[in-house]
Amino acid sequence: MAGKRVKTRMSAMAKREERWAWLFIAAPFVGFMLFMAYPIVFAVIASTSKWTGLNSLWGNIVGLGNYIKILHDAKFWKAMGTTVIYMIGIPIGMILGVLIAMGLNRGIPGKRVLTTMYYVPVVSSLVAVSILWAWVFNYDYGLFNGIYKALTGMHGPNWLGDEHMVKVSMIIFMVWKGLGSSIILYLAGLQNIPRDYYEAAMIDGAGSWAKFRNITFPLLSPVTFYILITSMIGGFQVFVEVQVMTNAGGPNYSAATVVYYLYEKAFTNGQLGYGSAVAVILAIIIFIITAINFWGQDKWVRTID
Amino acid sequence: MKKKLLSTLMAAAVSVSMLAGCATTTTDTPAAAPDAGAAPQQTEAPAEPAAEPEGSSTETMTGTGEETLHVFLYMQEHEKEIYQKLIDEFVQEHSDQIKEVVFEVTTQDEYNQKMTANLVAGDLPDVFYVGPASVRQYVDNGYIQPLDKYVDDATIKSIWGTTQEIYRYDGSKIGSGSLYAFPKDLSCFAFAYNQDLFDEAGIPYPDPEKPYTYEEFAEVCKQLTKDKDGDGEVDQWGVACADQWGMTPILYSNGVKFLNDDMTKVNVTNNPQLTEALTYYTDLTKNGLTPTVDQDTALGGYQRWLDGQIGFYACGTWDVAAFMDPNTFPYKWNLCGWPVGPSGDGRSHTWMGSVGYTVSATTKFPDLAAQLAAKLSTDEDGQRAVSGISTGASIQLPNIVDLAYGEFKDAVKSGKVPYASNVDVIFGYFDNNDHYAAALQETDYTYNAEWFTPFWSGVFNIKNGDITVEDFLKQVEPEMQSLLDEAIELQNSATN
Repeated sequence: MAGKRVKTRMSAMAKREERWAWLFIAAPFVGFMLFMAYPIVFAVIASTSKWTGLNSLWGNIVGLGNYIKILHDAKFWKAMGTTVIYMIGIPIGMILGVLIAMGLNRGIPGKRVLTTMYYVPVVSSLVAVSILWAWVFNYDYGLFNGIYKALTGMHGPNWLGDEHMVKVSMIIFMVWKGLGSSIILYLAGLQNIPRDYYEAAMIDGAGSWAKFRNITFPLLSPVTFYILITSMIGGFQVFVEVQVMTNAGGPNYSAATVVYYLYEKAFTNGQLGYGSAVAVILAIIIFIITAINFWGQDKWVRTID
Repeated sequence: MKKKLLSTLMAAAVSVSMLAGCATTTTDTPAAAPDAGAAPQQTEAPAEPAAEPEGSSTETMTGTGEETLHVFLYMQEHEKEIYQKLIDEFVQEHSDQIKEVVFEVTTQDEYNQKMTANLVAGDLPDVFYVGPASVRQYVDNGYIQPLDKYVDDATIKSIWGTTQEIYRYDGSKIGSGSLYAFPKDLSCFAFAYNQDLFDEAGIPYPDPEKPYTYEEFAEVCKQLTKDKDGDGEVDQWGVACADQWGMTPILYSNGVKFLNDDMTKVNVTNNPQLTEALTYYTDLTKNGLTPTVDQDTALGGYQRWLDGQIGFYACGTWDVAAFMDPNTFPYKWNLCGWPVGPSGDGRSHTWMGSVGYTVSATTKFPDLAAQLAAKLSTDEDGQRAVSGISTGASIQLPNIVDLAYGEFKDAVKSGKVPYASNVDVIFGYFDNNDHYAAALQETDYTYNAEWFTPFWSGVFNIKNGDITVEDFLKQVEPEMQSLLDEAIELQNSATN
């Protein structure tokens, strides 16, 4: 009702402007409907079918059949477990990121060169660096085992060929790959903390640990929160490095992630319906985890104002 | 409250974008897809020295006619030149009808994904690849059409009998009925040995007329396995086999079958031939006659073979050109048969592979498309080029039987085509003669190859001594069966 009254009072110019406004809104809205909403709805429908891409989707609806199967799918849970284990890399990356950012923030010479160097992995092609690291981790000819042998005279571990080591290797790789962006973000965060806080603390006789604990850490929490959210979402989507660095998901499927499993099901084995169901479950998990993170932020995220 | 709502919305937006992201994940790395037309090239991803084109490339040849044909294939760059020429000729021959042929070539890795996208979008090329495993589903779902009515009988009869059979389907079984594809190739996975290592060890070469028995083979491998530089570590091995591809010929040669005759039941537990053969196969590694599992992860058998560290290694028909190139493989080598187990039919067995040109059911020009498919498959000059008769690099045998047994063999004998002199081993496998036999793999007859994955990907545990052959087979059978059941279900869903 209220809207109607407003409309009648609109001048011709306001009407014209309103039309333009709708047009501007329409562009992203149509984009969203076409490239997000439609595929999502489609994926959800496909997830309830035995669709193979060849057969008719509607003729093969099985309801929640795929979901029930996934609950009992040992390979899915193994991949899910591995995906979660890989997230151990997130706090490690954060700690290293803060430490290095604080180091760089002391105004040491060559700061720009160092920042650039740390950032190179972030902008490099994931496929290219994965191939490179597959060689770094190589059992006989790799950099790590070369150093290990030179130091100890013994043969190093089979980084990518051992069921347990392959997880460690992937975490090392992911930390290395993501470190650059956490450093940049933390560096920006550090530079946003007003100097006078530290000066006041110094006058009160605070030591460096107290300063870190009571000023730096809390005031970096928005950055930490951002990194946490994006890394967790990214963590659930790890795929390329597994595909490139391991053969068929690693020894006894020990390196495979959920997205790798999804890809294998949908595109290698032609089970697009089942693959869609895995994708939907993954999306729901990401939604829940992200929602929890957002709700929980009140307890620990502090802003300067 | 407002903030929480905002948080929820943001979380929703973020995870929703993740879902969309998942659905479109793509990669430019090799995806082993044994079902994808059972293409043999993929078995040796590192075996292709020739650079593959990055992504797709599209060439267009134009005539004066009205009609446009779209051809979508994967192949290597040097093959593309050969086929481009055939397409150009075809346009000229039919220039009154054809306006243009759009020839799109992508990498093997990308092909599956692009075809899936084409299928889902209902936008099929006029001519594209189909593997023996896919014929049934493609026909059942109405994607492809019979070609025999558009192509004369003589042309069809000129190709290998096997490739006439595997692309026929009568609505219930493969092998009879209408012909749905012409072969791009028919390949087989033969065995090769490094002659130089035999000379060094003073061992007589394997007899191409009489493949080794399991026992003889292990004995020869023992003599070829040594520590050459005296550092206490073995650096030359008798044999190396990739579990995914190189294990099955050894098992097949002991009469092994993984499935029952109608391909509905996995039989690996109560399968004495398999137990015997798998024990033999894994013992080769346990006894140190192959690189260890760890060494194999560091450097695959193929690379070690090229480095001259391996006595016996698999040789697909597509590998020959590379092995004949002294820059790639600077050793003398020749072909031989896979070793024969005591419980088989006494013949050496291996697997064959093929991929074929098929024509979309929705093409507006079935006649032209079918003729183009036939030309790509059976044009004599084209076949002379890919088999090496006119180019000197053999990437496959000619599809035309007369050409294979006549001109091709002569060219091998005269040295015009650089080839292993024991080429008869390959012909023997194709002929199914007294000593050799080849067949498609069982995975070529099922909807997908997933049921075989737990088997080949778990065999290394036996080699490592972590599980016995018997326990492994017991453990793996239920998993294989459930995956096979799923494949059958999906296969049948196609006819709905």
